Amino acid sequence: MNVRTEQHAMDRLSIPATGRTPGVSFDFTGGHLRMTGESYPDDVAGFFGPVFEALRGFLDNPDGGPIRFDMELLYFNSSSAKALMNIFQMLETVAKGGREVTLTWCVEENDESMRELGEDFAEDLRHVVFQMREMPAAGGSP
Amino acid sequence: MLAQQYASIKRDLDDKGIVFSFSGYLSEGILYSLGEALREKMALEAADGPTIRRVFSVFIEQMQNIIRYSAEKMSGTAGRAVELSAGMVTIGMERGKVFIVCGNSVRNSEVPRLKERLDHLKSLDRDGIKSYYREQLREEPDHGSRGATLGLIEIARRASDPIDYDFNRMDADRSFFCLKVSI
Repeated sequence: MNVRTEQHAMDRLSIPATGRTPGVSFDFTGGHLRMTGESYPDDVAGFFGPVFEALRGFLDNPDGGPIRFDMELLYFNSSSAKALMNIFQMLETVAKGGREVTLTWCVEENDESMRELGEDFAEDLRHVVFQMREMPAAGGSP
Repeated sequence: MLAQQYASIKRDLDDKGIVFSFSGYLSEGILYSLGEALREKMALEAADGPTIRRVFSVFIEQMQNIIRYSAEKMSGTAGRAVELSAGMVTIGMERGKVFIVCGNSVRNSEVPRLKERLDHLKSLDRDGIKSYYREQLREEPDHGSRGATLGLIEIARRASDPIDYDFNRMDADRSFFCLKVSI
């Protein structure tokens, strides 16, 4: 039996989406992480700080199982892009260390901008398995 | 007289194809509300999701540039931290394309660096902008910049024509900076 002593270790992180901050649903026990909605927070560091911290606590656990990350954001601004890059780099580091990580980048059909952004991020991923998944369009505004 | 004066301002805006315009102190709260109004209007006009998001993306980056870099700001706490930055934002239609013009004052000392960045962006083609974005995505933010570089590249990337900018010297300290983007 594993006795968890890390201070940051937690089973899950759930942050409901608001008009301008994404929904975060990190199920650490099942290794399934998901982000939805839109991201252009008025305080990027304030929003992503706790997300990074929880993720770091989870990834620091050396004997973790496979990780599935579903990136389902419909829109993010340039400062959020930096934060996402940070998250993906953390995932790449553990994948390089041998952990199985799959990142699924979801785009609405015909959203070329989002598809291109996915390719921009994928460029740096050598050990994380990157997949692009098309979703049906939900309409103009979420 | 009153109505005549304002009708003339309104007519001037209408003649330029301007759909909405805001001048004064901008905040993150105003950005959010104007952004919602912009998206609702475009959705009612039956624009598709990706197009709305492209326009919205340029709008957000332009607005956040004003909020962060305007040389005319008030900040403090009014229950919570508040940052108000003077500037203007104008959105209109021209030859079937949406355009967004943002204006704000900047310090004269910052003009050369900003010009250099904008000229560099203007000189790049689509592929050049794309690789510049990829490069900057991996860079640490410039000292003192709160991430302007990536925001400007994002703007250039979503634009359908090369970006257009201009400076108008106001006094010994400041210039008025304008950036026009067609999407």
